[in-house]
Amino acid sequence: MAHSTTQAPPAVAAGSTRLPPWATLGILFGLVSTASILLWGPIGVSGTYPRFIGAILRVVAPAYASANPYLEKMGSLLKPETYLVVGLLIGGFLASMLNREQKPALEMVHAGEKSRGMRYRDAFIGGFLIVFGARIAGGCTSGHIISGITQLSVSGMIFGAGVFATGILTAKLLKQGGR
Amino acid sequence: MAGLYALLVGVAMGALIQRVRASSPGVIAQNLRLENISIIKFMATTIAVGMVLVYLLNLAVPMHFDIKPTYVVGVLVGGLVFGVGFGLGGYCPGTCVVGLGEGRKDAIWAFVGGVIGALVFTLVYTTIVAPMNSLMDLGKITLADVLHLPAVVVALVLGALFAAVVTFLPTNFTEQKGA
Repeated sequence: MAHSTTQAPPAVAAGSTRLPPWATLGILFGLVSTASILLWGPIGVSGTYPRFIGAILRVVAPAYASANPYLEKMGSLLKPETYLVVGLLIGGFLASMLNREQKPALEMVHAGEKSRGMRYRDAFIGGFLIVFGARIAGGCTSGHIISGITQLSVSGMIFGAGVFATGILTAKLLKQGGR
Repeated sequence: MAGLYALLVGVAMGALIQRVRASSPGVIAQNLRLENISIIKFMATTIAVGMVLVYLLNLAVPMHFDIKPTYVVGVLVGGLVFGVGFGLGGYCPGTCVVGLGEGRKDAIWAFVGGVIGALVFTLVYTTIVAPMNSLMDLGKITLADVLHLPAVVVALVLGALFAAVVTFLPTNFTEQKGA
């Protein structure tokens, strides 16, 4: 890990309590997720990807876009979820800037990634699979696991079990394969 | 108003994800290898706090619940595909957007992979995904429906269980001393 602040607890956890950062930040995220369901609806991210490509296709390939049942079903980008995704971008930027962090170095995820190109390749294939899988299931880490299980939904629990089954297997196999 | 609320929720969520380092693919890999489960504990804490609060609040005010349907085959297959991408790339659809905000170079590739994944999904939705997702569709069910218990009771019990597990389970499994 190239981070200089790896073990330094975030400022938000430095209050009077002695909770570890994951607990303090998790409680805060629980409050945010509750506020979201109180104010407008559960958080969710992955549906914005097909709406985003749909917006592009309506310009570059309008015939395909208007004839595609899935793009029609997902609708336009004028949805609260789109603003949420824009917020993620702003939140990530602000948190790293206000904490005066250096721009994060490229992190190799497993020993088989021996160059920047290999990391970009894995990020690309990984990105493809997470959105493709999330759209099959109808939600991702936020929509199914966080919001879903928060609402006690059975689908969120099944999705979470699937994600951690192959996620743990893949991460462990890649570690062995790299040796 | 929903758009503004969603934007603010997104900013807070993005900042929390950045602070807990869930946008670091290296940290995600450590979690999936079960070497350090700080992010898994962060998620479980978020869910525990959220489920108790939303169902307690629901006794007093109407909540914007949105339960996703449990089409067992599609939700499980989607989760399994997602897990492979999560283990390989170290990003999920939300954390790569936070990573973009932080200036992570591989996050751009994960995001582009996600957009291409959504594009390919629109090509196979009608022929492959929609038929698969009609199998074993149990509808919008919650654990409370399955157990025939009031949701607030299930939320309190499951929330307490999650809280107990994250409190007593060690965080770091690579050293002898726990969290």
